[in-house]
Amino acid sequence: MSHSVPSFVYTTYIETSAEKLWHALTDGDFTERYWFGHRVASDWKVGSPYKFARQGTGSVEGKVLISDPPKRLAYTWDPCSPDAKRERTSRVTFDLEPRGKVIKLTVTHDNLDEGGKTLRDISGGWPMVIASLKSLLETGRALPADLPSCAAEKTDA
Amino acid sequence: MRKPEFIYVSYIETTPERLWEALTSSDFTKRYWWNTSVVSDWKVGSPFSLLLNGQTTDVGEILEADRPRRLSYSFHHILNEAARKERPSRVTFVIEPHGKLVKLTLTHHDFAEDSVVIDGISKGWPAIMSSLKSMLETGAPLVIPLDALFIAELDEVYRS
Repeated sequence: MSHSVPSFVYTTYIETSAEKLWHALTDGDFTERYWFGHRVASDWKVGSPYKFARQGTGSVEGKVLISDPPKRLAYTWDPCSPDAKRERTSRVTFDLEPRGKVIKLTVTHDNLDEGGKTLRDISGGWPMVIASLKSLLETGRALPADLPSCAAEKTDA
Repeated sequence: MRKPEFIYVSYIETTPERLWEALTSSDFTKRYWWNTSVVSDWKVGSPFSLLLNGQTTDVGEILEADRPRRLSYSFHHILNEAARKERPSRVTFVIEPHGKLVKLTLTHHDFAEDSVVIDGISKGWPAIMSSLKSMLETGAPLVIPLDALFIAELDEVYRS
């Protein structure tokens, strides 16, 4: 067990429809609003590339592994920062499940390097991104905050 | 091997004082926590209990109360027999201003070995914290069907 690869799981419940949530996860205009300026672009076909960019600068990229709208989306995750490049390619899976009138969203980020920069960054980043996504879908406003250094290229070191 | 613990972080557009009130006042908790009441005088050493529809589900003791920054209580689920035999675990809320937001970190830790409670709380807390955030930001909690969480320890409650 001591050599198991860590994974990060974050579950939230959002008052929205599965279709709106799928759109929010896959539309660049939408992600730019809650993902602290990061636009996503892809045709969302299995095997296709996708890329997140802020003000034209790439932040995360990879390829689409599962695309089953509006239930399940998975892609590989390669941060563009030089530090993270040395780590293995990790994987993000979004599961969207109706629960009564709300949607249960589970984000699973796995195949991460133990003690790596990506694990540290995404552990801080996902709760903030998902909190902002939930606020935008429920109130019409994203959260007024900045993403911690995680998805940004710059490091203070 | 690392000890199991459950950590949940959320960012809420509210104030630390309102969030403290929402965690410690039954008027609030009944709205976002499936009609659950929280009963305590919130002084260190005082008893604490959770009542779901009037039935006591969990009891404990206040371990830390530093309003509006930090709240910690021991947590002993008493409804389900297997859980009742377990020693209490511990719940800690840390409330920190984060720009115009509040960062809420919930840590449920110090579980008995082979705890049966950890499965139920891992399903319950994300739903409770999601509904709390909705209530504070929109004025309305979420309506999440409790039985859709498949928490075995609460079977008796939603069958009643």
